Amino acid sequence: MNKDKPLKLILIYSILLLFVAWSLYPILRVITISIRPGDNLLNESLAIIPSDWNFDNYIKLFTEHQFLRWAGNSIFVTIVVVITGVVLASTSGYALSRFKFPGREASLLSLLVTQMFPATMLLLPLFIMLSKLHLVNTYLGLIIIYSSTALPFCVWQMKGYYDTIPYSLEEAARIDGASRFEAFYKIILPLASPALVITALFSFMAAWTEYIVAAQILWYDELFTLPVGLKTFQANMNTEWGLYAAGAIIVSIPAVTLFLFLTRYLIGGLTLGSVKG
Amino acid sequence: MILKKTLNKKFTYLFMLLLIFSFSLTFAQSDVLELHLWHQRPAPSRAILDELLEEYHAQNPHIKVSVLYKENEELRMGYMASAAFTGGGPELLYGPSDFTGSLVEMGIVRPLDDVFSKEEMADFDPNSLINYQDSLYQIGDELGNHLALVWNKRLFKEAGLDHAPQTMSELIEYGQILTKDFDNDGIMDQYGLVWNYTEPFFVIPFYTSFGGEIMDAHQRPTLDNDAAISAYQLIVDMRDSYKIIPGECDYDIADSKFNSGKAGMLINGSWAWKKYMESPDVDFGLSILPINDATGLYPKPMTSGKGYFINPAAKGRVLEETKKLLRFLVSYDAQLRYSKELATISTRYSVRNNPEILADPIIATSIHQVEHGIAMPITPEMRAIWDALRPAYQNVLGGSMTPEEGAAYQQKLAVEKIAELYEGDAYGDETPISVYFVYFGGILLAFWAMYKLFTGFILPLLKNSHLQGTKDARFAVWLVAPAAIIMFGVVVYPFFYNLLISLSNMGLTTIKTWKIIGFSQYGKVFTDPNFYTYFIKTILWTGINVAFHVSIGVFLAILLNRPLPGKGIIRVLLVLPWAVPSYITALTWRGMFNSDYGAINVILKTLFSIEPTAWLTDPFNAFAAAIITNIWLGIPFMMIIALGGLQSIPKELYEAASIDGASAWQQFKKITLPLLRPVMIPAITLGIVWTFNNINIVWLVSNGGQPGDQTHILVSFVYQAAFNLYRYGYAAAFSFVIFMMLVLFSVYFMKKQKITEGA
Repeated sequence: MNKDKPLKLILIYSILLLFVAWSLYPILRVITISIRPGDNLLNESLAIIPSDWNFDNYIKLFTEHQFLRWAGNSIFVTIVVVITGVVLASTSGYALSRFKFPGREASLLSLLVTQMFPATMLLLPLFIMLSKLHLVNTYLGLIIIYSSTALPFCVWQMKGYYDTIPYSLEEAARIDGASRFEAFYKIILPLASPALVITALFSFMAAWTEYIVAAQILWYDELFTLPVGLKTFQANMNTEWGLYAAGAIIVSIPAVTLFLFLTRYLIGGLTLGSVKG
Repeated sequence: MILKKTLNKKFTYLFMLLLIFSFSLTFAQSDVLELHLWHQRPAPSRAILDELLEEYHAQNPHIKVSVLYKENEELRMGYMASAAFTGGGPELLYGPSDFTGSLVEMGIVRPLDDVFSKEEMADFDPNSLINYQDSLYQIGDELGNHLALVWNKRLFKEAGLDHAPQTMSELIEYGQILTKDFDNDGIMDQYGLVWNYTEPFFVIPFYTSFGGEIMDAHQRPTLDNDAAISAYQLIVDMRDSYKIIPGECDYDIADSKFNSGKAGMLINGSWAWKKYMESPDVDFGLSILPINDATGLYPKPMTSGKGYFINPAAKGRVLEETKKLLRFLVSYDAQLRYSKELATISTRYSVRNNPEILADPIIATSIHQVEHGIAMPITPEMRAIWDALRPAYQNVLGGSMTPEEGAAYQQKLAVEKIAELYEGDAYGDETPISVYFVYFGGILLAFWAMYKLFTGFILPLLKNSHLQGTKDARFAVWLVAPAAIIMFGVVVYPFFYNLLISLSNMGLTTIKTWKIIGFSQYGKVFTDPNFYTYFIKTILWTGINVAFHVSIGVFLAILLNRPLPGKGIIRVLLVLPWAVPSYITALTWRGMFNSDYGAINVILKTLFSIEPTAWLTDPFNAFAAAIITNIWLGIPFMMIIALGGLQSIPKELYEAASIDGASAWQQFKKITLPLLRPVMIPAITLGIVWTFNNINIVWLVSNGGQPGDQTHILVSFVYQAAFNLYRYGYAAAFSFVIFMMLVLFSVYFMKKQKITEGA
């Protein structure tokens, strides 16, 4: 690409900044609510930092609520889900990309089909299933659900990325005496690391922010994950908006940090493979 | 390499350890008996409950009470799911009295006649002992939940007023005095009166002050009358003629305005008063709702109690301990504490007669207001009536119906919805012929699936070992198997369960006794005119959203795909909407759409002098608001995909094109678009599927379909139908139809896009 003229650059920057403002403003509003005293969701003032701001809500979160405990639970569940997601998606995506085997077509299609279930179709039966399997009040139940919600997308995008890696690399490795698994593990997997990062990120997001399933199967304060804990600040016509917003901000921080570091992997790593074939 | 290997090994160990940890977290049972209490107490009263339970634990070391808070509707749905579908759930449930009818109809609460003796019961206000079908099912510890008039004495004093209005005319007069535009910019800086007037619960006092009644002795709705017309007209007049209430006002707006000293009077319920008493901007005043001088009647707010239910699953010793706990939680001491600290009305006469309680002016006003109230019906019909009042009333407020039309419409809707509530009963003992088709079809399906599995999967894997590549195939199956099994397990059971329920009559009264009835739920889906309206809305929703996601995403990607100082940080900032949980950002968007002081109207006004738009009260605008919010959320994903796609386009192509003299537009059309297409098509397919089923944003931005149930897409509508009126069979059929539509669409779309290229 050639160098752009200064005028064009200015135009590009102004457009981009406009969009940046648009994407940031609602998030800044959440921060505003969290540092505004008086528990008001709405306010006439458009100022991002209210004149009488304070950090009371953040202090309250950590002193009056089990916020750290919830954070610990969330971290645990999320780590397991991320590991499960990366292991399962990297292997099955590889198989779908490289081999013809019975059931391959069906698997590829069902990846997409799993995304089509409306939430209303899954909620109740999933809960019944988990309680029949005695997985209520366990993290295992959560981990299974989260892993499987994140998996289709991750498998799909892993497959898409493997598709871009030439097959000749494995052939060369096989000629050198590597087993099929070694060829995958030592040659291809390292090459696919950008896609692995994305799989990890998606699994992270699936586990980190989910609350509907978690709220249904966790019955103890001590077991809550962050989003479920956050929900306890919300009541019908009686929401503690300051706490709720402060909690949401803290929940966002790890996600935002990850995006901060991983955006460059996201670009180019996020390749959705074709569905058919 | 070696380092890497050990690292990987370490990871494996860590993983195993974590798994074991997660297994061991299931709570170990000891000789201490654990009881569960689920409740919906808001924060201040939650603290008292915790203190009480601490005392209880000290007195009863063999008991451990585990408490779980859930928001009202989630409590109802969560308890039902646990108790009705799995026979589990907490032993003790604390909720509002209007849960009673539904819970009894479902058979998931037990009679409580044996908890207290006759003499002990005599201390309770009969209104707090909730009977249904001749048995006692709920014992209350709090009465009220009533609306009354809260006023800010400071603002009254500033306006030269010294007492609360005594009549409706005075209410309007005071309202006009208190409504002020200090800086003359046309936007009121202070309103005379605010309240959550879009919600029907808050219109009941006005309706009853004109002599209206909710239902007759046979639970039939009586909503089409002059009282409804006059009440609706009065509220529209307050907004449009007297201009004493904001043009748009939901609960949070009313609450925020009054709490920050920007409104003179507020109609709100007893649950919220404590917050205003503590607010630095409010000098708290409370009085009963003023008499309607046109009729000479007092407004009657709905009153209801809150109290305890016991789960029939509790048996033997567990039941005895649960009863004991219940007795403790509604005891004199416990109630006295709630009443003292929160100024709630106790259900025990002995507490009400406590000198300290008698001296509390707020409780005195409360009792006075409750005497003018009407008890909220506890029958399931009430749910249907709320669902009927909401759209009719909101249509009147939105101007799409006259008060007369609204009154007629709500009566018609209420009758329909009550029928829907009991639709499960409509199927008698005779078995329609279609049922046999269902069974036959099920058997055929099972055989077909087994045949396919055998011939398409197992046989080729086992038999054709002489064929080349079979070893590879087995290797591949091993690689895929874990992921396939976990996904299969999670998806297959819900799928077939849903299919089965969609062929059944499962509903409020048939939640445990449902049976297969054939295809009539599907018939209902397709004959419901709403289905087609919401279908068109869903298509619009999906189409507009994805179109904007893709076009803005690609546009930004093209801008970013060049050497640009600061590119990294801009990219991250643009991705942020994706990283922040949408359940909070959707709510801030809702705030930004507020017509008076939402950021959007302010910007439109200051930059383009566009008159304020009523975003959330007009059906079209509310839908647009939801779409704008979702566009904001969806751009980053498409932008990232497009950026990746752009980077894979060789730069030489552009250079060659430039040399040949192609314009930028030609380059975009001939190089960028065609090469981006294969990258974008799968993302678009996925985007369409996700957006089609995206229930959260519509729900949060429109506050559950408001105004008037017109801001719905198919999924949010079915969510409401399923969980508000317990139409499980219908909802399952509806969900299945949505699912099939998506499957058919995707097959068609992918065929059309000719995605046949493979590995």
